[in-house]
Amino acid sequence: MAAMAAAPGFFDEAVDEHGNTRDHYQPVQEWFDRLTLEQVRDLEEQRNESFRRQGITFTVYGGDEGTERTWPMDLFPRVIDAEEWAMLERGLIQRVTALNRFLDDIYTGEQAILHDGIVPRRLITSCTGFEREAMNVAVPLGARCLVAGIDLVRDADGAYRVLEDNLRSPSGISYVIENRAAMTKLLPAAFADLAVRSVDHYGRSLLRALRSIAPPACGDDPTVVVLTPGIFNSAYFEHAFLARSMGVELVEGRDLVVDDHVVAMRTTRGLERVDVIYRRIDDHFLDPVVFNPQSTLGVPGLMAAARAGTVSLANSVGNGVGDDKAVYAYVPDMIRYYLGEAPIIPNADTYLLWEEDQRAEVLERMDQLVVKPVAESGGYGIVIGPKATDAELAEARDKILADPRNWIAQEVVNLSRLPAWAGDHFAPRHIDLRPFVLSGEQVEVIPGGLTRVALREGSLIVNSSQGGGSKDTWVLGDSGQRDQAAAS
Amino acid sequence: MLARHAEDMFWAGRYLERAEDTARMVRATLLSTVAEPPAQAIDHMQNLIRTLRLEVPTPDEDVQTMAENLIPSPPMLRSEAGLGIDVQAAATRLVASPSLAGSVVFCIGRTRENFRSLRDQIPSELWEQINQFYLRLRREDFATAMEQDPFQTLDFIRVSCQTLNGVFETSMARGEAYRFLVLGQNLERALMTCRLIQTRFPAMDGSSYDEMALTLRSVSALEAYQRASQSSPLAADVARFLLVNDSFPRSVLYCLRLSESQVEALAHNGKPPPLRRLGQLRSGLEYADFDDMAANLPAHLNDLESGVREAADRVSNHFFRNAEAFDLHSQAISPGASL
Repeated sequence: MAAMAAAPGFFDEAVDEHGNTRDHYQPVQEWFDRLTLEQVRDLEEQRNESFRRQGITFTVYGGDEGTERTWPMDLFPRVIDAEEWAMLERGLIQRVTALNRFLDDIYTGEQAILHDGIVPRRLITSCTGFEREAMNVAVPLGARCLVAGIDLVRDADGAYRVLEDNLRSPSGISYVIENRAAMTKLLPAAFADLAVRSVDHYGRSLLRALRSIAPPACGDDPTVVVLTPGIFNSAYFEHAFLARSMGVELVEGRDLVVDDHVVAMRTTRGLERVDVIYRRIDDHFLDPVVFNPQSTLGVPGLMAAARAGTVSLANSVGNGVGDDKAVYAYVPDMIRYYLGEAPIIPNADTYLLWEEDQRAEVLERMDQLVVKPVAESGGYGIVIGPKATDAELAEARDKILADPRNWIAQEVVNLSRLPAWAGDHFAPRHIDLRPFVLSGEQVEVIPGGLTRVALREGSLIVNSSQGGGSKDTWVLGDSGQRDQAAAS
Repeated sequence: MLARHAEDMFWAGRYLERAEDTARMVRATLLSTVAEPPAQAIDHMQNLIRTLRLEVPTPDEDVQTMAENLIPSPPMLRSEAGLGIDVQAAATRLVASPSLAGSVVFCIGRTRENFRSLRDQIPSELWEQINQFYLRLRREDFATAMEQDPFQTLDFIRVSCQTLNGVFETSMARGEAYRFLVLGQNLERALMTCRLIQTRFPAMDGSSYDEMALTLRSVSALEAYQRASQSSPLAADVARFLLVNDSFPRSVLYCLRLSESQVEALAHNGKPPPLRRLGQLRSGLEYADFDDMAANLPAHLNDLESGVREAADRVSNHFFRNAEAFDLHSQAISPGASL
């Protein structure tokens, strides 16, 4: 049911340029080929019912279907073979290691990379994500990007490229785990003999990383909590999921108090000390004393406690300077500077609009490029040149001229394609990949990650907030693990 | 446990119990009205509304106003007796109206909201069950189903509530979350039984079997009562059974005992205020001379009801709004300690 011919201009994940199924997709493709229309519809129904029953939902702000929508997971999985994954894993560890070093250098180090002229100083000081409040606030192990989500795409030649880094509160890991749970229930037979690497251990790994950054003075058994903005946040499901899978409390700002630089939560037994906070609240809402005084989500005095070193926050405050889309252009240089290595996964080609000559070129070719605001995430504010109307292009042009520092342009990356269910048949749709990287005692990558898919034909926008879906992502074990799975 | 989570759990227990009790009471009332003249049916419905504390107080307790406050007038059907309350329409509203605070749909919605904010604390099976239940109640055809097939619909609600009870009884660790849930549930149950006796006791004076049966069925106690007492029932016997029977799980005494043991397990030292109040109420019932009590039952029931409500307030003040001073620094490292 899933046959499709390779189209020029795109890399097809499952088929090569001659229209033959690639080796690592062979078993999955065969399995799907055998399904009838009725069987697929039945599986779709079971999947929707199961997500609805479990309340696996996300919120679309301003959507007209009310606030909760069930999670759109496409049945056809993405498959990554062992060798390809080994390369990605090395590249991701390298990138996140360099970013941690960079952030530590900026906030608590000597800002050597600025002194040495590798990254322009004015780029950092003009960055909205640069937090003066975070200056000289030390983070144990320098694990500033405790959880990073690095968005990868494959260009027309199939080469992986980093499209953007998410170093503040990357979300989506709960869907990785729920997708896998759903797929194992729906299509157990499709996993046969493939030794697909497990993602279940995420909660344990996250807890270990969080405990590793506890203030050293708090002893062997630090108290970790997850801090959520509350039930109306679009990622609340994930916050609850993470707290549950780590077995720690899910707190809101109003549950915490700071007394003389010590953070505590209100419990039925009075106040209880908190040592590590995995916060899923943006920097600016974290502490009304130093940030937005209107914020009721945060905890007054939290930053002072962090500065005093009595509590550790993850991810660290001020990480926005690392995932600013203009700073992104310098990440390959950071890798060379801090690690003395050549970057394993390259960036997408990027133009910095504050550089006059680059800006001139971009303004001429706007209909061929993608322009993005540097500090946004979730796909908000992006203008895709080839798809934009003249009016949209003119508007983007005015915004760029008014504020060039806050825009970048990239060549259109023709995201690779993979079959997805289109109502009555499988048809090629564009996908990307967000692997999750944990930093603690060491840097660890969860096998696979969240594959997002643009469910509309031809669309390149994969964000779930913009009508995208997701796929389970299977990282195959190496040949030894596969033989073992086949034998058992 | 976080105080906020404990409070959510406590209220989840109360709302869940309220939904189940309402469904039982509505069912018993509808059943009794099947073979009754309209005037009496309306009486029963008004008593039910009073038991549920949903009546809107008016200066002269005007029946007409009470009915109209409960049922919006345009679709209001007038019964033949011309008294202006349609029993089936009132029952449908008590069960299926999302805007009526206290209706079954409303209570299950609140239970779900409370569980939702506690998803990290409760078993996923419990969440799936409440979610499924709620989604069914929110389907567009639910009110119609309640109107056309009330008994089957009410049975579905009862069974769904019992399933929820079964899920948490068999899957939750006996920790604080469980205890606050059970505490909320039993305090609400004690209140409901107490209020039922309050409104039904005067009605049972004629010692008609049907009136007794309605009272007992409202808390699913008819079979248990018949097993416990073979003599032909008097109103006072029914009241005694529902107040102080020590083996029937919906008697006020039984609920208070269960509540008391939860608070005892939750209190870490001594006898905090909610425990003292519950202990007083429980022993008051346990050692009371029932014949003395029966002589002035309405006054005793009023005291009991306000006593239970006060115990619930004390639970809130002690466990949820805990403002007791606590020396953080006894377990704290000193501020500014270097890393």
